[in-house]
Amino acid sequence: MKQPRIFQKVALDMFWAQFQWALGFLGIMLGIHIFRIVTSFMRGTDVDTYFNMVFVAANIFIFILGIICMNFLKHYVGNGVTRKDYFKGGLIASLGLSIVLPIITLLVSAVSQLVIGQIDRVTINEPNINSVVLDIELDGNIIGNIISSVVQSFVVPPYVDPNGALILALGIVSLNVFIYYLIGWMIHAGFYRLGTLGGLGFVLVGVVTLILKDTLLRIILDLPIAEMVQFLDFVPQSVAGITVFLLMMMLIGIIRTLTKRAMIKI
Amino acid sequence: MKIAVNQLSLKYGNELALSEVSFDIDSPKIYGLLGKNGAGKTSFLSILASYREPTSGSVTVNGETPFENATVMQQVAFLYNKDYKEETDNVLGILQDTERYRPHFDREYAEYLVNRFNLDVKKPVKQFSKGMQSALNVIIGLASRAPITIFDEVYLGMDVPSRDIFYKELLEDQEKHPRVIILSTHLVSEMEYLFDEVIILDKGKVIIHEEFDSLINKGVKIIGNGEAVDRFVQSKNQIHVEQLGQTKAVMIYGELSDHDRMVAREQGLELEPISLHELFLHVTKEGA
Repeated sequence: MKQPRIFQKVALDMFWAQFQWALGFLGIMLGIHIFRIVTSFMRGTDVDTYFNMVFVAANIFIFILGIICMNFLKHYVGNGVTRKDYFKGGLIASLGLSIVLPIITLLVSAVSQLVIGQIDRVTINEPNINSVVLDIELDGNIIGNIISSVVQSFVVPPYVDPNGALILALGIVSLNVFIYYLIGWMIHAGFYRLGTLGGLGFVLVGVVTLILKDTLLRIILDLPIAEMVQFLDFVPQSVAGITVFLLMMMLIGIIRTLTKRAMIKI
Repeated sequence: MKIAVNQLSLKYGNELALSEVSFDIDSPKIYGLLGKNGAGKTSFLSILASYREPTSGSVTVNGETPFENATVMQQVAFLYNKDYKEETDNVLGILQDTERYRPHFDREYAEYLVNRFNLDVKKPVKQFSKGMQSALNVIIGLASRAPITIFDEVYLGMDVPSRDIFYKELLEDQEKHPRVIILSTHLVSEMEYLFDEVIILDKGKVIIHEEFDSLINKGVKIIGNGEAVDRFVQSKNQIHVEQLGQTKAVMIYGELSDHDRMVAREQGLELEPISLHELFLHVTKEGA
């Protein structure tokens, strides 16, 4: 039987390790969701779908996974795996997670919606998530505006309702979480390789990428754009799509460059 | 496996950790890599294990540079005093993981060693004592059976009985599965019987690289009347001098000819072998 290549083993192992953590995260979110259903039942109020709830929290979770991903480097080089195989394996694993996580969330959400549908006293909340972006008030404080945009991006990135366009909704969530993962990985790699100052530089790159990604996705999806980046409104959808792809490639390129010849500290 | 080290240098900022080091390792033997703290042992081993790149010069394994070379990296196992304080996995999990990436890993032998060191297989490794964590490193190193196996001070946390088990198992397994084993240590007196060859590093340079037996024969202590001893050693490489009244003892490093030995006898001088520990101590002392 043909032995799997090393990067395939790394991909599988990294996927499995992080998938277990992701299951833990989804489990906790399910616990919170059930608690909310119970409280809504008692109060007779409405409740967010599981999908929407995870949608809001998943970015931070996956961003942290991206940061932790850098810790695998020492482990794998210590086991005789090249940095290249670690990088390829890590990338495949993160892509796999970004695809699987929204699918599981959607399946659990469908079951939960079925259950909620049977309960008369609880209704499903249908928020207009995308309009949150318009609520950010701009003032002369540029740093403040940027922070608002980043926080908003973490909490509510561009959203597509899965009840409308299922594949698109899943695709957008996958793309969002994948980019968050890459940004976390890049920032840790930046600190690891270049120290505090270099690392902070990559935090800045991450912030700019995040704002750009969000804006471009909103352009592609015909969603409202934040006031601060209104000047990007002229960008055609096709160019926005290509730019999002290029941003992703840029992040991947930076991570590879930072880890390619990284020293393993002992 | 042939390791060729050629003009190898490594700098940390302005500090020179390795300075134009050159030597070869070409047989499946146990090599003792000795040196004081900061002598450059871990720096050299890190380069051999692809943990880092040199500033200049080269290390090659069978003619290939190890850094980012998948074939070479799989053949080199580097075990050091690893910190397991965040390791939630247990021994079984860690050994399974190692088995996936080490082509020569022997699972049965690993399990035998786990019993030998009396490790709890289900307890998270972060809850292990320092000695147990060291034993785990030793098990991974031995059971990986990598053609180049490096133990860098890995046994420091182990107690005497555990270290004794390690030494015995190492010799037994080396006899059955000969490979290049590099033992980096400063526990010289305790481990010297393990070494086939000795490499002594000092201030980033190789100062001695010899077969253990020939090295031990080269270190001699000459004891006798002060003047006679002085006459005898004046053209020799003196590494240590002790004087007690009229009696003087001088340690020299270098081959003694039959004629030298005859002269010593005629002068009433005593010739005593010196241990590797003494030799190491005196060749690496400040101002030696």
